[in-house]
Amino acid sequence: MNDYVAILNDTTRCTGCEKCVAACKAEYELGRDRPWRGQGEVGALSATRFCTVIRRPGDHYVRQQCRHCLEPACVSACLVGAMQKTPEGPVVYDRDLCMGCRYCLAACPYGIPRYDWSDRVPYVSKCTMCVDRIKAGMVPACVEACPEEATIFGSRTELLAEAHSRIRSNPNKYIPTVFGEHEVGGSSVLYISDIPLDFLAWQADLGTQPLPERTWAALHKVPPTVAGGATVMAGIYWVIGRRMMLSARTGSDSAPPDAGSEEERGGP
Amino acid sequence: MSKRLFVLKAVLWGFVGVLTVVSVSRFVYGLGAVTNLSDAAPWGLWIGFDVMGGVALAAGGFVIAATVYIFGLEQYRPFVRPAILTAFLGYIAVAVGLLYDLGVPWHIWHPIRYWQYHSVLFEVAACVILYLTVLTLEFAPVVLEHPRFSKPLFRAVLRSLKKVTIPLVIAGIVLSTLHQSSLGSLFLITPYRLHPLWYSPIIYVLFFVSAVGLGLMMVILESLLAGLFLNHKVHTRLLSGGSWQSVLFVIELAVSAAIPASLLLFKSVRSSIGGLALCAALSVAGIVMYRLDVAFVAFSRPAQLSYFPSWMEFAVSLGIVAAAALTFIFFVEHFRVYAAEDIAPGDVPVPSYDPATLHGLLPQKLAAPQRFSAMAIAAAACAVLFLPNEAVTGVVPAHTPVAASRTVDAIPSARPGGGRKLELSNPAADLPGSVPVLMIDGNRNGYPVLFDHEAHEARLEGERSCVLCHHLNKPFDENTSCFECHRDMYEPAAQFDHSLHVRELNGNAGCVECHAESGSAKRQESSVACSQCHANLVAPSPHIEAPGDVWQLAVGYMEAMHGLCVRCHESKVTEEPDDHPAALDRCDTCHDADRQLDLQRLEPRPAGRR
Repeated sequence: MNDYVAILNDTTRCTGCEKCVAACKAEYELGRDRPWRGQGEVGALSATRFCTVIRRPGDHYVRQQCRHCLEPACVSACLVGAMQKTPEGPVVYDRDLCMGCRYCLAACPYGIPRYDWSDRVPYVSKCTMCVDRIKAGMVPACVEACPEEATIFGSRTELLAEAHSRIRSNPNKYIPTVFGEHEVGGSSVLYISDIPLDFLAWQADLGTQPLPERTWAALHKVPPTVAGGATVMAGIYWVIGRRMMLSARTGSDSAPPDAGSEEERGGP
Repeated sequence: MSKRLFVLKAVLWGFVGVLTVVSVSRFVYGLGAVTNLSDAAPWGLWIGFDVMGGVALAAGGFVIAATVYIFGLEQYRPFVRPAILTAFLGYIAVAVGLLYDLGVPWHIWHPIRYWQYHSVLFEVAACVILYLTVLTLEFAPVVLEHPRFSKPLFRAVLRSLKKVTIPLVIAGIVLSTLHQSSLGSLFLITPYRLHPLWYSPIIYVLFFVSAVGLGLMMVILESLLAGLFLNHKVHTRLLSGGSWQSVLFVIELAVSAAIPASLLLFKSVRSSIGGLALCAALSVAGIVMYRLDVAFVAFSRPAQLSYFPSWMEFAVSLGIVAAAALTFIFFVEHFRVYAAEDIAPGDVPVPSYDPATLHGLLPQKLAAPQRFSAMAIAAAACAVLFLPNEAVTGVVPAHTPVAASRTVDAIPSARPGGGRKLELSNPAADLPGSVPVLMIDGNRNGYPVLFDHEAHEARLEGERSCVLCHHLNKPFDENTSCFECHRDMYEPAAQFDHSLHVRELNGNAGCVECHAESGSAKRQESSVACSQCHANLVAPSPHIEAPGDVWQLAVGYMEAMHGLCVRCHESKVTEEPDDHPAALDRCDTCHDADRQLDLQRLEPRPAGRR
């Protein structure tokens, strides 16, 4: 398995201080959140907020950010390659390539990418896992800022082991699954939690099949469709043309042969 | 020109006029200014109708071409040209609609250079580009037959184009098959958002089959309409040979297939123009509805973030269709689109057209074009009147209606550090010293607050400051909201929940509880210390230095606990486990279910304020 970099969020440790959000905003100079239309609430993910903390009943805090899927739906959906999975693992966005079709917004199973609807020339924005910091040997800004180590950074294998060992050592506290280990093929951002996290996705049970496989099932039929379609059409054209020619030669006044007329009726 | 056609053209020109107005807003201020799209509804009417519906409506082109050229059903030949023209204009309209919908429309050519074969949308884009080329070549003969193109060069091009008709038709069929179905495959990647009634692993088959049906019905409908408006002969003889979600789904199936199919069983329906028109219109509406449902109606989003297209989105959709229809009429009027028999290019009967003058290219009455442009301009003017603020000024933060301001009596009192404090007085009491003070809904949130107009005026350099809040009183102008100046009002702080305090302290009337100093802007730096209310939140410990000289804010208990106690304990527990019990480095020591209440009780909160 590829050993991508990863982030593990332990929601039992998060106290909702939002220092991660502040650090993220400082790192990317995102500025203030404003109550723009269509963004739900000011504190929701937006073009000025790549990650946020969702408050759940009972003083539970869950950080929401891009999951950096191992087989990302957004990368598969993008028709110009503006969304790319880097070799390190983070999924990044290149605004110079983007044509603004917003298929990535529709495709993401977690509803992460945001669009700056208020801008004249809007672009997609989302968490980049601080890929430039990672390449420079640093940890992501949010991880560095967390006072509780509720969000930690490492290789995916390490963090999965850490997550499972935390669950094993405290089985009554945690829900015994690592969210992000297998969902839609797995992701680089993992969660362990004492509350269900299904509100982070569009549907409670995402299944383990990567979303790109679903489209690939249709796409791999394209070459046979081209070859088969063209051949069948050319064949029908030749057969019908020849029958019409033959019937015209044998007797132009009489009715065409039965077989020929049946063939003709079969047309769309 | 018949009166019917005149009215139709006038209406279409009206739609085009509205389109121009909305286009200006769209391209000057962006998508947010004219659409109701949001992150929850990334695709709306333009993708559902103009792109997905448009492509499906244009399916008649390849279906009829296959029927006539490949399957040899010569009796349908009269429909070939109108069908190809419809497809050609339909795809042009799709491209134009995309230019409106794409966030970065000048990158529309990117798929040609940056190939991403794993993307369904790339396959759609590639097929649409290629098919548009094929359609251009298929339709080119109609234009080249025109007497204006009688030069030998054009004739040679025409002859060679006619020779490759069959390969072109086959290419068109294959490309159409691919992208008609791929428009359905687009949604294979959204299994969680598309409603289960519409989501299907073979959605591409459903899209292809419905496109074939829609294409045929569209050709019928169009030729009936052309008969109605352009006085051409209708070939009925040939054609007569041939949850809310669940409710929506049933309606969609009924309208697109079941009702028209049942009606067409009756010969009386098949052979009457009205019956055919009804069935074709039902099918067209039903299958367009299928596309709209998949694109955004049955696409899940949070309940509070609903989407309904704005009138400007409808205007762009209708406007593009109207422009395409006008182009269609132009071609029918000036080229040989509807012709019963195929005539060799040499002996085209010259229509009411004289190459020497431009007269033949214009309608009979010279006044008509002026009337059409008057119609377009009038409609555009009406559209300007109805444009919402955002389409005129660009996107601004969402505003709720402002409650009217009023004057109330308030009692001023001196505030330590200068300025005055205002308190509402009971009008009945008629207390001495009360002064009239403005009460405004400064943040448009329905909570009018006392507004010291004099103090604001004095602080903002007297009369010259009026425009800071009142702008120039132009149309659509609104007064400045409080938060436009008091910028940190909506700022999230690390531990401080501003909106919670606003709620707890009786809305905006409570600002002065913390921002007591009226002489300065309302900022964190100038507010009172947390300890003023929450005295027990500051640990009275000699080990913790409150950074009181920086901000007048005490170290919160939470920050002290998390930043100092917990961190220190964590390191000490591993270094000197005997001296330090492990409890304090664990969150659930404090944050467990039994002690939640303790953590939430922030005494001494003034009684009766909850």
